[in-house]
Amino acid sequence: MYNKKIQIAGFYFVLPTLIIYGIFLIYPMITAFHYSFFKWNLLSEKKYVGLSNFAKMINDKRFWNSYITTFHFTLISIVLIIILSFILALILEKSFKFKNIFQSAIFIPVILTMVSIAVVWQFMFQSTGILSNLFIDLFGTKVKWLTSTKIAPYSMILVNVWKMTGYYMIIFIAGLLNVPNTFYEAARVDGANYFERLIYITLPQMKNTFILVFVSGVIFSFAAFPQQYVMTEGGPGRSTEVLALLIYKQAFEFTKFGYSSSISVAFFASLLLFSIIQLRLFKSESNL
Amino acid sequence: MLKSTRFIFLLVLSTLFLFPFFWMLVSSFKPNEEVLAIPVKIFPKIWQIDAYTNLMNYSEYNFPRYFFNSIFVTIAAVLLAVILCTTAGYGFATYNFKYSNFFFIIVLSTIMIPFQAIVVPLFILMKDLGLNNTYLGLIVPESLTAFGVFLMRQFFYTLPKETIESARIDGANEFQIFLKIALPSAKTAIFALIIFHSQWVWNLLLWPLIIVSNPEMRTVPQAISLFSGVYFTPYPEQLAISVLACLPLLILFIFLSKNFTRGITLTGIK
Repeated sequence: MYNKKIQIAGFYFVLPTLIIYGIFLIYPMITAFHYSFFKWNLLSEKKYVGLSNFAKMINDKRFWNSYITTFHFTLISIVLIIILSFILALILEKSFKFKNIFQSAIFIPVILTMVSIAVVWQFMFQSTGILSNLFIDLFGTKVKWLTSTKIAPYSMILVNVWKMTGYYMIIFIAGLLNVPNTFYEAARVDGANYFERLIYITLPQMKNTFILVFVSGVIFSFAAFPQQYVMTEGGPGRSTEVLALLIYKQAFEFTKFGYSSSISVAFFASLLLFSIIQLRLFKSESNL
Repeated sequence: MLKSTRFIFLLVLSTLFLFPFFWMLVSSFKPNEEVLAIPVKIFPKIWQIDAYTNLMNYSEYNFPRYFFNSIFVTIAAVLLAVILCTTAGYGFATYNFKYSNFFFIIVLSTIMIPFQAIVVPLFILMKDLGLNNTYLGLIVPESLTAFGVFLMRQFFYTLPKETIESARIDGANEFQIFLKIALPSAKTAIFALIIFHSQWVWNLLLWPLIIVSNPEMRTVPQAISLFSGVYFTPYPEQLAISVLACLPLLILFIFLSKNFTRGITLTGIK
């Protein structure tokens, strides 16, 4: 049939993508599961060890430290980013003098190269760097930005928030512009003030944008790597050793390719679980 | 909010957001001992460009070559991404072939595979294929973006079916319709994809670190992390190369500022 023949053309359009994604994404994901059952340093023969890599992982303090560090980094980053970028979007949604300049200034960190950013922040965080000096002058306290196990994780969060806020601000502005103006006019006629309009109209209308920002922010922060690699190498005392860094170290510094794959599987499973929960919540809400 | 409060709030925040780049820039023109000197001076006593010219004197580092590598890999990976995303997006949006929904879900579900989780097996695969230390080995994995496929599919959905049908009646084949009608109509979306993806590829550090061991094949971020990790590298040099690494995307941003934000809006909303 003529029509059927046309539909088959669609298959040829998607075929290159299917092949390349199959080889370079799906196959490696499957082999990650496979390798996680082996002890392997890449040079000698693979040795099947069953579930012992996972057993080791569950008892490995370094893994749990890394997991909690990543979780902490992601959660606090995302909360701060959402609050800050939403407030900025509310202000910058309207047009006024110099608005574009302010918007560009806040957006600039998004387009700076991550490694360059890590280098300059590292200088600012040094004990004789400008940030440390500023804190001594202003508050009289010496902050050990990168050398205290208590503070270093927050220094990482600070850099992440600074880098990503501009990006989500733009997404929030777009979301705000999509809320129909008639809603606000009706509310104004009813005598609702700014905060009432914000709570009863803006926030519910922006639900999808919030979900989008939340999900993409979590996935992005959960996979953080360059910043920690350049600025702290996971230190001090492994307080900033995020999962991506641990996977890298286990494989390419300690040549434990099997164990590294087990951590990769745990990493993937965590994000998958998060996506499923998030999807469930989203679905049950939209059914109401 | 009062206009002046808003203005001051934004002024303070903009200053804070711009400061690290400003600091990177001015410090790169200082002599070594001034970079971390106390008391802090914002501007250098004497502006000097030695840090930039000195970059050429490190025999172990071939920075022009790294810039070539990074630019070449970024352009090639983005080009490949555009080809794959537009063809697949068009295929999924306009045709209804056997298992098309199943294939689409498979491709879309790869969004959930974080790159960090597959680097080890991907490295082993590339090594087996003999693609470590090659441009191909850098480019192909960096060209994959399920999100891009999704974006293009959403866009091609809005293409009127009658336009495609009338082209068919005029005797155009399926590929001609794609090239002459679908692609030109998708300019905005393709532009968004280019901006979004080039930013991502340019910034990548983990994959080059793993796949490249030959010094000649290093990318810019990889070279900087190595260069600044050596403790006797002078500070202004570290900052100078960091400034240079930011320039390509900054230039892109200055020229395409409007499309830049529109691109992000598009990638964010759909």
